[in-house]
Amino acid sequence: MMDAAGQYRAGPVVWAANIAGTCLILFLFQKILWLVVPFVLAMVIYFGLLPLKLRLVLNGVSHDAAAAWVSAGAFFILLLIGILVFPWLLAEAVSWQDSATNYLNGGIQMLSTVISQLEGRIGMLAQARASEAFAAQVADFSAHFAEKYLPAITMSIAVWSPSLLLAPFLAFFMLRDGWRFRKFLIRAVPNAYFERCLYLMEQVDQTARLYFVGLIKLTLLDTLCLASGLWIIGVSGPLMLGLLAAVLAWIPFVGSILGCIIVVLVAATDFPGNPGMAYAAVGLFVFVRLLDDFVFMPMTIGKSLNMHPLLTVLMIFVGGAVAGVPGLMMVLPVLGVVMVFGETIGMLVNDPRLRARHAHERALRQQLVTRDLTLP
Amino acid sequence: MSWFERGREPTSFSHRMVQTDLFSTLSERELGIVEGFVHNRQYLAGEVVFDAGEEGQALYVIVSGKVAICLPGQHDTPLAELQTNDFFGELGLLDDWPRSAQARAASATELAVLFRGDFERLMESHARIAAKITMRLAHHLGQRLRQMLTQSSAQGTLQ
Repeated sequence: MMDAAGQYRAGPVVWAANIAGTCLILFLFQKILWLVVPFVLAMVIYFGLLPLKLRLVLNGVSHDAAAAWVSAGAFFILLLIGILVFPWLLAEAVSWQDSATNYLNGGIQMLSTVISQLEGRIGMLAQARASEAFAAQVADFSAHFAEKYLPAITMSIAVWSPSLLLAPFLAFFMLRDGWRFRKFLIRAVPNAYFERCLYLMEQVDQTARLYFVGLIKLTLLDTLCLASGLWIIGVSGPLMLGLLAAVLAWIPFVGSILGCIIVVLVAATDFPGNPGMAYAAVGLFVFVRLLDDFVFMPMTIGKSLNMHPLLTVLMIFVGGAVAGVPGLMMVLPVLGVVMVFGETIGMLVNDPRLRARHAHERALRQQLVTRDLTLP
Repeated sequence: MSWFERGREPTSFSHRMVQTDLFSTLSERELGIVEGFVHNRQYLAGEVVFDAGEEGQALYVIVSGKVAICLPGQHDTPLAELQTNDFFGELGLLDDWPRSAQARAASATELAVLFRGDFERLMESHARIAAKITMRLAHHLGQRLRQMLTQSSAQGTLQ
């Protein structure tokens, strides 16, 4: 489909294929979408270390040796920081634990107050002795936390931790073999499509970069809105809380709920006996989330991927329905990459000259390899 | 799956590339950097490298072989025949303007291709190397312009 300027534009068939392709990828790869976390970390490490590696190459070191030296250097610096910071972390851990317990108690206290107040107004709750039941459940949770929940939490951490170790491993191989891999992929492309495919790879690279830039902008906007709101309400540490909630929001829905719980706990502890402040914090959080989903996200991530705001919002829901939480996180970058592939394939299929050139190249090769096969 | 084979980093690239006009001012170390940004392609005699009117995205350096620059349908004979170490398609590195002529391998040819996106990355990460290449490119375009001016003034004198 060509526009007025003679440029190819994807038609409805290509768009339908893009959306179907995105859903299929999410569905087929949902079991390994958790690899996204170490992969994103690896990308951050890779882009951080790449200039150092290239500087070594410029000084006459081979690509392999430069990657090895830079990775080893980064590892030793991290090790040194770990050795120096570990004692301080151990000392501070006690105060962090106290703060966490304090905020948790504040939250429980607020809930007890709210239930007691509701009991005073709603007879049914008073008859059911809701506050007593709540207190019993909290006591039970505290008493049996170690035996009931601690093993499951420890197991989850034990299962997830090794995947994080993949990050430096992936980063090292990206540094060492990334440029070879790109050339390896391009070598497989026929000459007729070569320039187009280089263009495609460039577009995919740009899409991924724009997505991450959009994500950083979104985080900054969320942080500013939440911090301003919390500062107006009077909650302590508004900037830190806003940033924490904005980073947690990278995981759609689950991250938002966790962020909301943290904000409410802090508000309840800062203003004990005043549930109104906690309600205000919840209201503010919901308002910022709505802004994020319907205004900021289409403006930042959606805009960076050149997507219609309605499609951005719809695809988030589709991603969640197809592949759960990882699907929510990955649907937009996957759609961005699939869109570039879909449009390029559409363009190649609709370009008879490129197909003819490829057929000509194959005929020439056939001619070359068969020229001495016929008997004189 | 040569990508998975270790210890096969090509070593002859800098020796071959230093002879080309475009990379002649680069040191061996700088060529080591450029190697990461350049793609090698093999073409058979008669194979089209790019067509006239196609959107240009890359510059081509002839590592070995010959390339004919043609205008099919307008001229029966090639406008020019480029040899080993020459380069062509340089405007594709600068803008989206369509290719002005067709490039076709005149014999079995090996080309080194510098893509515009890679060149932009080279400018960001190694401005000095990119500046050296750009200077050679500007020098080449200047020569072309002078040639064209000389030709057009000669034609004007004849008329």
